[in-house]
Amino acid sequence: MASIKLKGDTSGEVTIQAPSVAGTNTLELQATSGTLATTAQASIGMKNRIINGDMRIDQRDGTATINATGVTYNVDRWLGRGVASAGVFTLAQDTTSPANFTNSLKATVTTADSSIASGSSYRIQQHIEGYNIADLNWGTSDAQSVTLSFWVRSSVTGTLGGSVANGDYNRFNPFSYTISSANTWEYKTVTIAGDTSGTWVTNNALGLRLNFSLGAGADRLGTAGTWTSSIKEGVTGQVNPIQTNGATFYVTGVQLEAGTVATPFEHLQYGQQLALCQRYFQTFSHAWVGVAAGVGYFQSVQGTFNTAMRTTPTTTRTGGTSTTRYPSSNWAVYTTTAQRLVSRMAAVSGGGNEGWTASGILEAEL
Amino acid sequence: MITYKLGNPEGVIKINGDVKNYIPTDEANTDYQEYLEWLAEGNTPEPADEETE
Repeated sequence: MASIKLKGDTSGEVTIQAPSVAGTNTLELQATSGTLATTAQASIGMKNRIINGDMRIDQRDGTATINATGVTYNVDRWLGRGVASAGVFTLAQDTTSPANFTNSLKATVTTADSSIASGSSYRIQQHIEGYNIADLNWGTSDAQSVTLSFWVRSSVTGTLGGSVANGDYNRFNPFSYTISSANTWEYKTVTIAGDTSGTWVTNNALGLRLNFSLGAGADRLGTAGTWTSSIKEGVTGQVNPIQTNGATFYVTGVQLEAGTVATPFEHLQYGQQLALCQRYFQTFSHAWVGVAAGVGYFQSVQGTFNTAMRTTPTTTRTGGTSTTRYPSSNWAVYTTTAQRLVSRMAAVSGGGNEGWTASGILEAEL
Repeated sequence: MITYKLGNPEGVIKINGDVKNYIPTDEANTDYQEYLEWLAEGNTPEPADEETE
């Protein structure tokens, strides 16, 4: 068998070897610059730990106003956090995107916070389930490096920041990237050394948080590439889009993968991506029709979920019918598991054919 | 103002104006975690609605 062997200057070698059977094979490198990575890993399947990194799935289908410290979700799996009122931004799915993508997540500053107070932080996050980072071995001496890659377009130029953090929020590693041109899509990659300390859960609880900072007080900013137990959500010296009213920040193609090389974005089929999202959020629709038995008697409906959820979800009715015998105020959840919901309606009068419907949302976010 | 009412037969109901969130008794559910924090602050939920039939 003919082969070509390339030896490194100090150690290591690469062998390209022709097969021993008849046929012609071509190793073709495309014109685009990049790195062709090979690893000793057993499998590349589902390499991206981020769900909906291309921002295509938007079951909530609306604009979220981020004006609180709590969690507010927008496109599936992506959430915003801010402060009570000093600065406000919105999140929404957008069709502005770089080549090979159709959507992005757009943040727009609607109230600028020109002087960010200590402890304040404005950020876009994704919470990653512990099961999906278990093989990274973080919190052990075998911790693997990860590489974050994403497309970003910002009206504010300069050094921006973010961080990764654990679920307990006591391990942080800030990262930085540079926006060179305003309102222009740019591709960024950041490699982060695995954390050999701290607690990183590997079950269905919150395993890893990815933060894109839109602004933070100085106490929330730290040194890029350095693990710390102090809360850090951005990088020291970063520019803060939240300080500019009307500033826009788009992000898409977000990928977090094991290793030190950013590989092309893992484009999943729409149905696959939707199913991954429905583990955390999905809608339901229940309907019943029959004879209303009488005052106070229940009619119940069971629905099985499209995808088993991460844990038993919170149920919120958002729509449905309200009739004379079945006013919507009489609807209630009877029982829920991670795979099904039983809801019921109590009649206020009986004796005739009637029906009711209820629709809403199921949330098992992290 | 947010209040909680015990569910019937299970869980708790978070009431915020006209919005009712039916929260399961599941410690992995983040809404239930918030409810436990609310209880730990010394609050008490309203009793569950009684069956009428």
